[in-house]
Amino acid sequence: METAWIDGKPASLEEALRAAGTLLGKARQPLVTGLRTDVAGVRAAFLLALRAGGIVDHAKSAGLYPFIAAARDGGAFLAAPGEMRRRADRVLIVGDEPATIGADLLRMLAETTPDLGVRSRGAGRSFMAVSRQTVTLPGGVESDHLDCASDDVVDLLGMVRAKLGGRRVGEGAVGDEVVETVARFLSEAGFAAIIFSPSEFGEIGTEQIFGLAEDLNQTTRASTLLVVADPDALGAALQATWTSGFPLRISHGRGEWEHDPALFSSERQIAKEGEADVVVYVDALAGADTSLPPPEKPTILIAAGSGQTSGAKVAFKVGAAGRDHDGVLYNARFGDFVATSAETKSELPTAAGILDALASQLGENAEKAA
Amino acid sequence: MLTRLKGGHVVDPANDRDGVGDVFIEDGTVVEAPAPAREADETIDCTGLVVMAGAIDIHSHIAGGHVNTARLLLPEWHRAFSSRPGETALSKVGWTTEETGLRYAEMGFTTVVEPAMAPSSALHAHLELADTPIIDKATLVVLGNDDLLLEMIRAGESDAAIADYVSWTVASSRALGVKCINAGGSAAFKENVRKFDFDDVVPDYGVSSRQIMKTLQSAVKTLGIPHPLHVHCNNLGVPGASSDAIEATIKAAEGDPLHLAHIQFYGYGTEGKRRFSSRGQKLAELVNATKEVTVDIGQVMFGQTVTISSDELRQFAGAKQASPGKSIIFDHEANGGGVVPMDYKKKSFHNALQWAIGLELFLLIEDPSRVFFTTDHPNGAPFTTYPDIFALLMDRGVRARWLEALPKSVAKMTSLPEIEREYTLGEIATMTRAAPARLLGTADRGHLGAGAVGDVSVYRPGDDKAAMFARAAYVLKDGDLVVRDGAVVKRKFGRALTLRPEPDKAMQTRLDRYFDDKYGLSSRWFEVPEGALGREEPFKVMPCRA
Ligand SMILES: [Zn+2]
Repeated sequence: METAWIDGKPASLEEALRAAGTLLGKARQPLVTGLRTDVAGVRAAFLLALRAGGIVDHAKSAGLYPFIAAARDGGAFLAAPGEMRRRADRVLIVGDEPATIGADLLRMLAETTPDLGVRSRGAGRSFMAVSRQTVTLPGGVESDHLDCASDDVVDLLGMVRAKLGGRRVGEGAVGDEVVETVARFLSEAGFAAIIFSPSEFGEIGTEQIFGLAEDLNQTTRASTLLVVADPDALGAALQATWTSGFPLRISHGRGEWEHDPALFSSERQIAKEGEADVVVYVDALAGADTSLPPPEKPTILIAAGSGQTSGAKVAFKVGAAGRDHDGVLYNARFGDFVATSAETKSELPTAAGILDALASQLGENAEKAA
Repeated sequence: MLTRLKGGHVVDPANDRDGVGDVFIEDGTVVEAPAPAREADETIDCTGLVVMAGAIDIHSHIAGGHVNTARLLLPEWHRAFSSRPGETALSKVGWTTEETGLRYAEMGFTTVVEPAMAPSSALHAHLELADTPIIDKATLVVLGNDDLLLEMIRAGESDAAIADYVSWTVASSRALGVKCINAGGSAAFKENVRKFDFDDVVPDYGVSSRQIMKTLQSAVKTLGIPHPLHVHCNNLGVPGASSDAIEATIKAAEGDPLHLAHIQFYGYGTEGKRRFSSRGQKLAELVNATKEVTVDIGQVMFGQTVTISSDELRQFAGAKQASPGKSIIFDHEANGGGVVPMDYKKKSFHNALQWAIGLELFLLIEDPSRVFFTTDHPNGAPFTTYPDIFALLMDRGVRARWLEALPKSVAKMTSLPEIEREYTLGEIATMTRAAPARLLGTADRGHLGAGAVGDVSVYRPGDDKAAMFARAAYVLKDGDLVVRDGAVVKRKFGRALTLRPEPDKAMQTRLDRYFDDKYGLSSRWFEVPEGALGREEPFKVMPCRA
């Protein structure tokens, strides 16, 4: 079985590691991204970036940043899905993404009813969506629908906040009746859960939604459930936070971790104007299908998928964490990390193993040069 | 390999040593002095230096979901964001797992307990601890707001069944002990209750905070868990109600061991024109008189910090005083919690009195083996302020200088100016070494007798106690020299100390069904498998009492 390639031609693992090490050793600005791997892989990626003086980001961190930026600028109310399953008697679905990327969560909430709390159990669970599309819930569970485009949702929620605060509600894209309906739905809840996708509303919209939860909590109980398209990006951000103090988009180019959400974003670095001149791209979870970065930047690819070798300067085929080997993965349903056992036995190397081997190669090279 | 720490002033109260002598370490463990003919492979000259066992911090929030959220919330105090690097206490903390391990080691601390691990965040907490270098770690797992415990109490289930559930939680989360945090308070807050006293009942369950606390205290005793139930009382920070809550809790110990956390935050009365006063003296007297309780302080120091707590009710209330004005509140299974930034200001009457109350408690509680040295990091202050606190305890001149810089109105409201006591080196060693090891049931550390782990800190004594404790002259971890002149010279990884109780198989079956039916979660997700942490020997198992 071939597991390593140089310029698209099969090579031994040792040759490929040497070629990758040489490439990284000459790089002025290495970038470690993709970052679709388990906790061990992400840990090894940070070590490699530390040794190489590189930038680290997750390829899909752009989907998280509206949440990260809103939470660190203004705070947040956050709930665990399991707790809302038992406690939320009112669920407000905000925008159109929950129905797609949050379908599992909506199904769980539709298939259960709250059983905790004198204020919230007994009367079942009702749903309301403020979105463009109507939301279809399983089992014929009904959801009220207030037609509202994403752009207007944030305005609407602002007006709901004004109404709840007893302030005058200005003219908006939606009528006063709609504002009144949403305000009543939420304020009469025993425990309201607001489901939304931060990437749909951006930082300002996300701040508005957290603000709404905060306002509601002055008199009743409410929180939010986030849905994100790439839970592994959230896991990588958490791990980056305890490792470097920052949620991804970090660089060890000047001898300590620095954070710059604009400069060190994977999207910017991979693009032509980015400073990165060598890219280490990790795509090692089941369902690996991420497209390669543009070929004008020499790439070291560490991937669990097949047929991804062309275009990469050096490529390694590795197992997918949680499928081919045991691994710790972020689990959105649980809201934290979970140890996941392999489904099959595999002889493939792990992404962590390749990244660690590259990091120790750099360590050795540095010693030789000294 | 044999290492000799030669001719230092050995302060080892657990073994009644307080004088000049040698300490020998062989292959990571303290040994008796070898036969005179035998040469040590390595000799560290400790002449003129003070030699103690590695220090143990029993309560410091260093890992887990809430701690990590605090990092996220306050990036601006990290160096890269700070316009004046090093100016704030938090920027000195560095705020990462890496910096946590290194900074602790440089002060001579070799074991640190993360005291608030949610069962659902156990793997996360242990992953962070596995990334924290040099020091050994341990965790306390949090119960007391979880549906299952409350339901078991309501249903009148047997003590044995409840103990089995506690045992399962400790075993699967790899904890060293059990903590309850505002028992019932978070559960009540989810029912929109905003104030919760010791004898209030959680709506729906009809179970009081007292009942929950007593149930857990007894389960911990039944299971032979060496560390007594670790209690964070109700009404933290509320003038009057906080001191009522802790008094009631201490009286409810009823002869069985109980540990009360960060009691400074409960020493508040309502006297004076600001309706905020010290009950430090009264609380200290109660602790002195109640021999079965131990306490830690949670000293406040001035500067920017962030509070991290699984007391969701009180964190939500405290969010109104957040500085800067932002906070994150969690509604998780069981406790939930909150992260609220706080800026303790010298010029604030309220903050300055908090500082004074902490010191009153330290100095008026007589037995240094029952009062523990904490800032409740980072809630009262980051752990990097410890050297200053040692100086405040050991030198009344330092206290007088600090007091002078505070608002005049504060000195009138505290007995601190009249307190003459100065902690001796022996008392410091008791409070930070011998007593914590006894409290945690970790007999392998906290002393320098034969058989102890080779964790040793050596300090350069001087009039400036803060300087002495800020930078250890030498620190050995498991016999390896890891710190020299206050700087880490060797990086390695310690282990997490855990218990390994064996819960009944029937409890596993019951919990498999419970988590699946009620939450749609697998009970296996709460487990921390050894292989998940990516370290060779991540755990060291400590025995339960027979
Ligand atoms: Zn604490």
